[in-house]
Amino acid sequence: MAGKIEDILDNCLERIFKGESIEDCLKDYPEHASELEPLLKTSSSFMQKSFTICPDSEFKARTYSQLRARLYTRREKAQPRGKFFAWSPRWAVAFTAVLVVLIASTGTVAASTSALPGEKLYPIKLATENVRLTLAFSDMDEAKLHIQFAERRAEEIAEMARRGEGSQIPVLTEQLATHLDEVNEIGKAWKVREKGPPALGPYDGVEPYAEAEKVEKLKVMLSDSRLRSLAILENSLEESTGSTKPSVQQAISDIKEDYDKVLFKEEAKASQ
Amino acid sequence: MPTEKDTVSRAIRGDEEAFAQLYEKHFAKVYRYIFLRVENQSEAEDLTQEVFVKALEGIGSYRWRNLPFASWLFRIAHNQVIDYLRKQGKVEKTSWDEDMPLVADSDPVLAVEQKIKGEKLIENIRNLSPAQREVISLRFGAELSIAEVAKLLGKSPGTVKALQYNGIVALRKKMLDEA
Repeated sequence: MAGKIEDILDNCLERIFKGESIEDCLKDYPEHASELEPLLKTSSSFMQKSFTICPDSEFKARTYSQLRARLYTRREKAQPRGKFFAWSPRWAVAFTAVLVVLIASTGTVAASTSALPGEKLYPIKLATENVRLTLAFSDMDEAKLHIQFAERRAEEIAEMARRGEGSQIPVLTEQLATHLDEVNEIGKAWKVREKGPPALGPYDGVEPYAEAEKVEKLKVMLSDSRLRSLAILENSLEESTGSTKPSVQQAISDIKEDYDKVLFKEEAKASQ
Repeated sequence: MPTEKDTVSRAIRGDEEAFAQLYEKHFAKVYRYIFLRVENQSEAEDLTQEVFVKALEGIGSYRWRNLPFASWLFRIAHNQVIDYLRKQGKVEKTSWDEDMPLVADSDPVLAVEQKIKGEKLIENIRNLSPAQREVISLRFGAELSIAEVAKLLGKSPGTVKALQYNGIVALRKKMLDEA
């Protein structure tokens, strides 16, 4: 079997990782055996030694119990959205909205809008976003907010990359995608009807073409947001440090795919 | 038997048992990879803990992208190490914390033996170039595939294979010198 020695070595390593012996691999590459054997023995010895590096069991258990405590706190905090407003009279919703706007204009909340992951004000930024989503008056408003927050995540990725702090980039990428998923969920509920005579049957409260217009509007908003988010990330790619570049490249590729997926679904609906 | 995708889906929904399974599967690998990069037990512990805190915070929004869960987790770990090394002024440690055992489990003789083996391991990889060291740590410490390492580092699989080959050649030379 011919091939580059790097490829052959890697092939043998994969087989050894899966439990085959060095001898089995060498049999398949007799012409490279003399070069391969010492390299595979070195690899095997290094592999054995690296398995001796194990986390202390007490540390492992301690870390897990801390993570579990966080998991419980998170569950307790998570409340079904909209539950409060489901029974609240309209004036209460309006009053709360005014209150939030007033609070939002004060120092801490205003300052939190530029906060980044890991900073003290960042949880306030996310909490404010959640309140704004809860207070959205219509599904279109809610979709707009999700798109706006998706772009915020793109800005945060760009800033973290510029600062050379990449560990939050994979998490932010997924959070951006979650906002796009929410947009997709909102759009799913809109009925698009074929043009033609009105359908016979009881009136279900949905205006014949109104929701088709909403789908069209959403498509345009998503498309613009895609351009803005990708432009932000492409710019940051030029300015980011060498070490965070691969993370930004991966984020760009994932985010492009996520926008395209949602856009494709909206396009398909619009062309129904 | 549930697939990794099933386990991850359950963990996303907040299932503690599923998260525990992922933790059990990846914890030692993440620690090993970080230790090979930072050469210090207490720092490796802090960074490993930080990686899992970030993973827990982010798992609710994680989506399956036809890549193993480890790819995502090691992206966090890899960037965590880079952040750490950058904050340290990119000065790689020349010695590890002598007071801290490599493994602190019950058998003291075993712990000492393992510590010696670990010290030698670090001595061996210290001679590699940073890129070779990164690839060797990801392949042997984190047990990632060539494709996963290539994606993580933004390099082609061919380049990663070449770095792996040259790294093993350099390790061989160092081990022979020692012998």
